[in-house]
Amino acid sequence: MSRWRRSVDELTARRRRQHTECARAQNALSRVTSCFQQLVASLGSSADSSFLREEIDETRALAHRICSGLSDRLLRLLSACDSAPTAVEDRQASERLWVLFLSAVENFLSDLRKAKDLIGQFPLTQRSNRRSLVNTGCTDGLVGLAARVALVQIPWLVLEEEPSPDLTNHIAGLESLLSELQQRVPVAFWSVEATQPAWAEVLSDPEDPEDSLEDMMEVEMVSNGSSRKVSACCQGTCCGFSCVG
Amino acid sequence: MTIKNALRDYGQRYRPRMACLRKAEKVLLEMQDPCAGVKSQPQRLVITIIPHAITGEDIIAWLADRFQIDPQEASSFGSMLVALGYIYPLQDHKRLVIKPDTSLYRFQTPYFWPTQQWPVEDTDYAIYLAKRNIRKKGILELHEQEQYNHLHKWMNHKWDFIVMQAKEQYRAAKERKKPDRVVFDCQERAYWVVHRPPVRKHSQKLPLNNFVEVFEHDLPRPWHSIFIGFKSKFELDYSKKSNFVWASFLSEPFTCRSKIVGENLAFWEGCEDLKWGTAVAMKEKAEQIYKTFLARGAPRWINIDGKTMEITVKGLKHPHRYVLDAAQTHIYMLMKKDSYGRYLKSPVFKETLKKAVNPEEHKFNEVQLEQNARNRRPSLSPIIIRQQEQEQRAKMAASAPVDITQVMSKLSKQGKEMGPRHSK
Repeated sequence: MSRWRRSVDELTARRRRQHTECARAQNALSRVTSCFQQLVASLGSSADSSFLREEIDETRALAHRICSGLSDRLLRLLSACDSAPTAVEDRQASERLWVLFLSAVENFLSDLRKAKDLIGQFPLTQRSNRRSLVNTGCTDGLVGLAARVALVQIPWLVLEEEPSPDLTNHIAGLESLLSELQQRVPVAFWSVEATQPAWAEVLSDPEDPEDSLEDMMEVEMVSNGSSRKVSACCQGTCCGFSCVG
Repeated sequence: MTIKNALRDYGQRYRPRMACLRKAEKVLLEMQDPCAGVKSQPQRLVITIIPHAITGEDIIAWLADRFQIDPQEASSFGSMLVALGYIYPLQDHKRLVIKPDTSLYRFQTPYFWPTQQWPVEDTDYAIYLAKRNIRKKGILELHEQEQYNHLHKWMNHKWDFIVMQAKEQYRAAKERKKPDRVVFDCQERAYWVVHRPPVRKHSQKLPLNNFVEVFEHDLPRPWHSIFIGFKSKFELDYSKKSNFVWASFLSEPFTCRSKIVGENLAFWEGCEDLKWGTAVAMKEKAEQIYKTFLARGAPRWINIDGKTMEITVKGLKHPHRYVLDAAQTHIYMLMKKDSYGRYLKSPVFKETLKKAVNPEEHKFNEVQLEQNARNRRPSLSPIIIRQQEQEQRAKMAASAPVDITQVMSKLSKQGKEMGPRHSK
């Protein structure tokens, strides 16, 4: 085999490895941002606490590390696609990852902004602040989520521990990152197509049989000594709509 | 990465609603006070007990006591809080009203509060629908299915992200304790009932989404249904009982005064839309407003004085964002000083408010029922109606002359044609 042929194969193999690494990082980012959303949903409610806010900061820092690493690697991947001869599928796959990454950053950014507003609106500096927290029925915003975040692994080695930015700077940083990336790489995002058809996620079987919200909302009604279950949605009278929970 | 869908943005996010939302939030926070707030009780479910449930009658009693108003007004106010999304019902969750009985409600978490600076993103809705798909194995309601398909089409480029995020959010929610998970699911569901309600096709009250009500009456009139927006500029004054006005249900104008108010409000809405809307659509919007409200013999003519009319018409020759400001200010002052105040005190309004809070049943006889059944046709989805309107406008623009008065006369002829078809 000619040397040129071999080097092209090497390049392709390396690009595929980088691609897999980026895909795994994208999954990790999704995981971290979903946990972040669950945590932020408790801000301002009765489940809010300083522990919750610390956990939010740590989750944010992890997301920041993943984002910066992933943006660098994706940039390198896409510019490599430009310079060296690439198969069309490889190029398309890289563009797809690019669009997914930018969508994830946008989504995360909106949650960050909400978090900033909520933390500003509900400061927890004094004990009296707790009186104005909203009684939502939630008792604990942390359980399980902190552990889930801790299990997330970044698929590359973080060599230098750069200090993570505070909330305002984080938001500003992400905004400038988004605009910079969109300017530097001319990817036509409308040309990216979904890999799975509509309604495909219905077939993904959950790890264990999941209760529907209706099941969980069942109220125990005690009548004539024997108790029976009634759905909380239509307690007594039927609301007239097909109750799809 | 997000293609903003201009079609469904009614210009709402540009409306200055922040003032009234902040007032509602202040009331909400007062209700939380452990001593002086609303009494709460635990909600007993089969699997667990969830605290902080409140009854409808307690909410109404608290509001009536706090603002020194009668239970009827307190009930409307409470329903407004529910319709905005600050409180959600635990039973009968699709009807956003306060019931003056032991029905249970809960406070919505601040993350899901409605506020101007966080526009309700379609991406989030798509993720929510995908999550519901996973959980309910594809059994979604009709309007949700339609929305899902629509979003899948025009968000196709980020659909993989949406599905991935939905799966991760689903798994993250499962990590929480069961009662907290139930609460979060209820909160999320309530949020989307407020912000993405199903579009009703028959004469029923819509939840107070973005303060727009659609009423359908069987009265003779030139148009079949009318959109009237509530304008947050007419602020509510909490401190004075007599001035406590929250005209959340403005019905079909069938008297002179209420008709005038209706036209003025619609004109005001049009002006706001022009001010805050896109530059591209501006010229067209200005023309539309002129044809509908200002021109001689316009179908919804508003009464502004000669000088203001002169200035406005002159300005419309070269329309810009603020060309209708003079007319808008005039209408605002008119309403503030005169017609709106009188309208609110009028028996007509009191009657309609009563009817809105407790709508009476239709009393159709057999013959009418048969006729209704015969005439009933599945109405077009608003997306298609809007597309048709756009096509019609494009056709008119292509064939019509440039002169604004000629266009207007053409439209008034068309209006006369449409008249007999729509009267019952």
